[in-house]
Amino acid sequence: MSDGYLLQNLSIRIGERQIVDDISFSLAPGEIVALAGASGAGKSMSAMTPFGLSAGKASGSAMFDGTELVGLSESELSKVRAEKVGFVFQQPLTALTPHRTVRQHLSEAAMQAGGASPDKAAMVAMLEAVGLTRPDERLAQYPHRLSGGERQRVLIAAALAHGPRYLVADEPVSALDAALRGEIMALLVRLCRERDMAMLLVSHDLAGIEHHADRLLLLDQGRVIESGSARQIATAPATDYGKRLMAATPRLSEPLAELPVTGEIILETEKVTVTFPKPGWQRGRIGAVVDADLSLARGETLALVGGSGSGKSTLGRAIAGLGPMASGTIRWQGDALPQREHRSTEHRRLIQPVFQDPVASLDPRWSVTDIILEPVKFLATIASPPEANGYVEKLLQEVGLPPDFAIRKPASLSGGQAQRVAIARALSANPDMLLLDEATSALDPLVADGVVELFGRLQRERGLSLLFITHDLALARRAAHRIAVMEAGRIVECASREELFTSPRAEATKRLIAASG
Amino acid sequence: MKPALIIVALIALAALLVPPLLPYDHIAIDWDSVRVGLFTDGHLLGTDDLGRDRLARLLVGTRVTVSVALAAALVALVIGVTWGAIAGWVGGRTDELMMRIVDGLYALPFMFVVILLMVVFGRSILLVFLGIGFVEWLTMARVVRGQVIALKQRPFVLAAEAAGSPARATLLRHILPNVAGVAVAYLMLTVPQVVMIESFLSFLGLGVQEPLTSLGILVNEGAEEMDMHPAALLLPGGVLVALIACLTIAGERFRDRLADAAK
Repeated sequence: MSDGYLLQNLSIRIGERQIVDDISFSLAPGEIVALAGASGAGKSMSAMTPFGLSAGKASGSAMFDGTELVGLSESELSKVRAEKVGFVFQQPLTALTPHRTVRQHLSEAAMQAGGASPDKAAMVAMLEAVGLTRPDERLAQYPHRLSGGERQRVLIAAALAHGPRYLVADEPVSALDAALRGEIMALLVRLCRERDMAMLLVSHDLAGIEHHADRLLLLDQGRVIESGSARQIATAPATDYGKRLMAATPRLSEPLAELPVTGEIILETEKVTVTFPKPGWQRGRIGAVVDADLSLARGETLALVGGSGSGKSTLGRAIAGLGPMASGTIRWQGDALPQREHRSTEHRRLIQPVFQDPVASLDPRWSVTDIILEPVKFLATIASPPEANGYVEKLLQEVGLPPDFAIRKPASLSGGQAQRVAIARALSANPDMLLLDEATSALDPLVADGVVELFGRLQRERGLSLLFITHDLALARRAAHRIAVMEAGRIVECASREELFTSPRAEATKRLIAASG
Repeated sequence: MKPALIIVALIALAALLVPPLLPYDHIAIDWDSVRVGLFTDGHLLGTDDLGRDRLARLLVGTRVTVSVALAAALVALVIGVTWGAIAGWVGGRTDELMMRIVDGLYALPFMFVVILLMVVFGRSILLVFLGIGFVEWLTMARVVRGQVIALKQRPFVLAAEAAGSPARATLLRHILPNVAGVAVAYLMLTVPQVVMIESFLSFLGLGVQEPLTSLGILVNEGAEEMDMHPAALLLPGGVLVALIACLTIAGERFRDRLADAAK
């Protein structure tokens, strides 16, 4: 077989560390194969290293259209890349050179295989093929003028400019908004089908790839755990790891799980508006959140869903007293909560936050014990002052960590462990409500699922109310009683999860549902 | 980083501990052996044209230069960290005002300020390091302010606010400890700069006063007689170069290590 890409017993090391251990797979012309798995599973390494685009050293065999890639020199590899392969990377914000126009990017990409510089009509056609509007204007623009989705389209156009037969896409959509992800994935698949191009797709988002890939390989710790047709693995995984991974990935099609019963309304917001000064020298202010009305009952989970920039985090922070508020009222059991600066320690105790980036939300110089006890020190209105030692251990146990973590420093924690410490800190002053600001989106699927489960358990045991901010509609459907959809600073719809999916009213909701399906 | 620090430590220890052990101090004049060469009459490095022991003068000069540098760098550290932390933490108009003051002071010609101080208050070693510290804190303030602004946006600071931590406690317990590494790295880079400035002032005759000496004065004296006694120039010059090079290397390594740790 001379055509196609065939990896056999490929192993990759960086220094002494074995990153990828003995994997084999093939990619036939026109086929789409996805590599999936948790971070650190070796997916990007397996995709990039044979082409010389990583720090790893490959051994084994990687036959590419009849050429053995393992052992080729850098200049020979560069020739293979330039002639036959296109690459799409994760970060559309940084993968384009800021000082070069779209036209320069495209002509450079087109000429890398030795061809002539394409004329304007050809470049316009390239941009049209990736679905960019007003392509002739775009050619003269610099990357900073384009949105994230537009940049990713330009990157795809550049990757295809020299007419490659293979495309390697490393997490091509994970830096994009939920609504855009589906669009870009569909575009990549359509381009592959039209041009009879093969694609090697690297992604950690199982729900996103199962409809697009022909075949799927699950990787864990540098080994292939399971491989086969994408649909089959997605619906009926054979291995234990596959089953756990599938169960951890929320889907819109899954049956609704039981959620705890809720009590009386404790938090209400009325016409909450947050404005920021316009950037630069412009006068006036921008409304980041406009007239937001919400309510939250005791023991209830309310998901706040929307794209990036929709104002969901800003609203959450205004409610928790961690951000500014221009006008409106936030009421806790009927009493108005004051502005950020005027919240008393009792007000602060009511609502505690958990943030997205678990590592950055712990002070690197503090021990886990000090971190967890920080709220207790300032908000200690709880009846009996906690005995210094036993309390920390009890909280650690409650969030599922062993007691000897108390003396650790954040640097020695994994992402999931750090997030659990952050949750223990949020719980230590005995709050009534948690603000979860994308609290699971920086975590791997299995770890994130564990944290979501933990939130459910805490809610049942402590009667906590949760404001669950997320961009993932399927996750919101799994975890929340009610879902509020935000767009451009406004809450466009708020309904129970059953109602929202059976009869969505707002356009934004319909778009989100379509993109998540 | 280690060898560089060891060299600095050896020089500093010698300057501190050896002079009392020598048969001559840096002021005493040995009338019997004026301007003698190396290894004569118990003068290991000979004597200068007033008959003073060169080794004693070299060690005392090093001591003066290093202590002026340390003192000035500490002054810069204290003022710079306080100023920068307040500007970065408070932000807004206060920040604008405080940093414009820094910009204004930057614009003053440093030599002019020092000469003016000397003219008004007379020459003294205290003035030298006050003058130097006065200039060096400006950069420290900028560095610290940038760090504080970056740290202020980290979620753990927001979490501290949610935990009810008053602003002062957050600044003292979260922000400053995390700035410390960068401030120390910058301090290590400030010391060699101050060594250079002090020597330069002394070389011009604006620094410390005779009979007290410093590396700058010794280099100046050595330059005048370098055709007859090259060692008189090479030795203080060599110590100066070793100090500056080693401190700079150690400071840069330390800064790089911090940057790696932050990744």
